[in-house]
Amino acid sequence: MQALGDFWRAYQSTVAFAIVNAFFALSTYAVLSAGILSFATVTYAAMGGFVGARLVLQSGLDPMLLLPAAAGAGALLAYIVALIFLRLESHWMALASLALILITRVVVINVPSVTGGVNGLSLPVKLPLFVLAILLAVAIAVFYRLSVSWFGIASRAVREDPAVASSIGIAPRRIQTIAFVISGAVGGLGGMLLALVLQFLSPDTYFVNIAFTMIAAVVLGGSYHWIGAIIGAAVFTALPVIAQAIVPHFQEVANGIVLLLIMIFLPRGLIDPRAIRLRRAAHGASADAARGAARIVEGKP
Amino acid sequence: MELFLEQLINGCAIGSLYAMFGLGFGIVFATLGILNAAHGSYASWAAIAALAAVEQLKLPFIVALPIGVVAGGMLAVLVDQIAFQPLRRRGSEMLGALITSIAFWIILDNLAGTATGQQSLSFPRGSYPGTMFRLGDIPLPAMQVITIAAMLIVTVSLHLLIRHSRFGAAMRAVGWNQTAAALGGVNPRHVVIITAFIAGATSGLAGVLGGITTQNVSFLLGEGLLLKGFAAVVVGGYDDVRGTAIAGVGLGILEVMTSQYLSSGLRDGITYALLLSFLLLRPRGLFGSAGFSRA
Repeated sequence: MQALGDFWRAYQSTVAFAIVNAFFALSTYAVLSAGILSFATVTYAAMGGFVGARLVLQSGLDPMLLLPAAAGAGALLAYIVALIFLRLESHWMALASLALILITRVVVINVPSVTGGVNGLSLPVKLPLFVLAILLAVAIAVFYRLSVSWFGIASRAVREDPAVASSIGIAPRRIQTIAFVISGAVGGLGGMLLALVLQFLSPDTYFVNIAFTMIAAVVLGGSYHWIGAIIGAAVFTALPVIAQAIVPHFQEVANGIVLLLIMIFLPRGLIDPRAIRLRRAAHGASADAARGAARIVEGKP
Repeated sequence: MELFLEQLINGCAIGSLYAMFGLGFGIVFATLGILNAAHGSYASWAAIAALAAVEQLKLPFIVALPIGVVAGGMLAVLVDQIAFQPLRRRGSEMLGALITSIAFWIILDNLAGTATGQQSLSFPRGSYPGTMFRLGDIPLPAMQVITIAAMLIVTVSLHLLIRHSRFGAAMRAVGWNQTAAALGGVNPRHVVIITAFIAGATSGLAGVLGGITTQNVSFLLGEGLLLKGFAAVVVGGYDDVRGTAIAGVGLGILEVMTSQYLSSGLRDGITYALLLSFLLLRPRGLFGSAGFSRA
C-alpha cells in the first residue's frame, strides 16, 4: 500500500501533464477533423494561459471560476483567426499558423504588463488533480456528443472532400469556423491548465515545441477519432518517463523513434476506426461463412 | 553614417546565413515537395561535426568546413531514405512527410543536445580566420567576408545547376511528377538522393559558418536558422533560388536595422510579421511563380 502511495506521488505530475497535453491534442484534433492542419492551438493556449493567469493574480478569485474566461478568450481569438485564415489554401494555412506561433512569442515578450515579458509570470496557485480529471471527463463527453451529432458527420464529409460536401448542402466554411471556435475554447482552457500545473509562465512555454509534439500526439494516437488524440497525448507524456528508467539521457529520443515507427508502419495512427471496422467486417464475414458451411453439412436449406 | 554602413554589412552577413539555409530548405520544398522540420538539425549537426574536427582531430578551418558540409549532406540523405522514401512509395501527401520530419526533428535535436552537453559551445579562437579587414573606417571581420562570398558562390552555382544544366532539368522534372520523369529517362531515386545531399550540404554550410560567427554551436542554432530560412523561402518565392537569396539577405538587413534603430525586442517580430503578411497576401513570394491546381 505504501509502495502504491509512493508510486502515485512520484507520477502525479506526469498524469497532470498528460491531461493538459490531452487538451492540446483535442484542440488540434478539433480542426483536423474538419480537414485543416493548424498549429494555432499554441496561440489559443497562450491567450487562455496569460489572460487566465493575469485574472487570477489581479482578482484573487478561485482559478476554477476563471477557467471559462480562459476558454472564452481562446474561442474569441480562434474566431478572429478563422475569419482571416480560412481563405487560404490548406498548406499555406498550416504555414501561416506556424508563423502565428512565432509572432505570438514576439508579442508575449513585448507586452510585459500582461505577460511579464522576458522574465515570465509566476502563478503560485494550484489546481487539484481531480479537478483536471473532471474537466477531461467533461471534454470527453463533449467530443463524444459532437462526433455522433450532425456536426460530426458534416465535419467528416468536409474533411473527405470539401467540394463534394458543399455540393450536398454542407457549407465547409461554416463547419470549419465552428471547428476553429471549438479548438480555440479547448486550447484556451488547456493553456490556463498548463499555467496552473507549471505555476510559472515564460515566453517559451507556448512555443514551437508544444506545436510539434501536439500534432505528433494526434497523429500517433490516430487522427481519425477523438480518443486517438487523448491516447496519443498520454503516450507522448508517459513514454519519456518510462524511457528514463531504461535509457536515461535519451528519453526524449524515444518519442521521436516511436513516432517514426508509427508513421512508417501505422500511418493512420494507433486508433483507426476504418481498420477496426474492416476487421469487424472480416470477422463477421468469416463467421457468416462458417455458419453457412455448417448448415450445408447438416443438410438444412 | 559609419554605424549605418557597419550595420548594413552585419545585416548582409547574417542575411547570407539565412539565405544559404533557405536555399537548402527551399530545394527540398520545391523539388521533393516536403516541408522538412528536421532541416535545421542538419545545420546543427554540421556545426557539431566541424567543431569536433577542429577540437578532437585538430584539423584546420579549411578542412573542417568541408567536413561539416559533407556531414550535413550525408545526414540529409540518411533522413530522406529512412523517413521519406517509405512514404514516397506509399504515395502519401504532405502531412505524412511533415509528421515524419517532426519525428526526426525530435530525435536529431535531442541527440545534438546530448552531444553538446546541453550547452552552447563555441569554436576556439584561432581555429577560424580572425583577421580584421578595413573598408575605410569600417571594421570588416574575415568571417563576414567569407560568409557573404560563400552565399554568392552557392546561389550562383545552384541557379546555374537548376536552370541551366541537365541535372537541374531532371531535378525539376522529378519535382513535378516522378513517374513522368522516369518515363522520360530520369532515375528518380538517384535524383532524390543527390538533391537531398545538396540541400543538406548547403544548410550544413550555413550551420558551420553560423556556428562560428554567432559563437553558438547547439541544437538552437539549427532551430533559429530553420525559422528564419523558412521565412526567406516564403518571402522570396520557393522555386526561385535568386529570390530566396535576395529575401534572406533582405531579412537579415531588416532585422539588424530594426534592432539598431527601433528596438531589439522587435528584431524577430519584423521577420515573422513579413512572413505572415506574405503567406496571407502573396503566398508565392516576391519572385515565385504562381501555382495552379485543377479541380
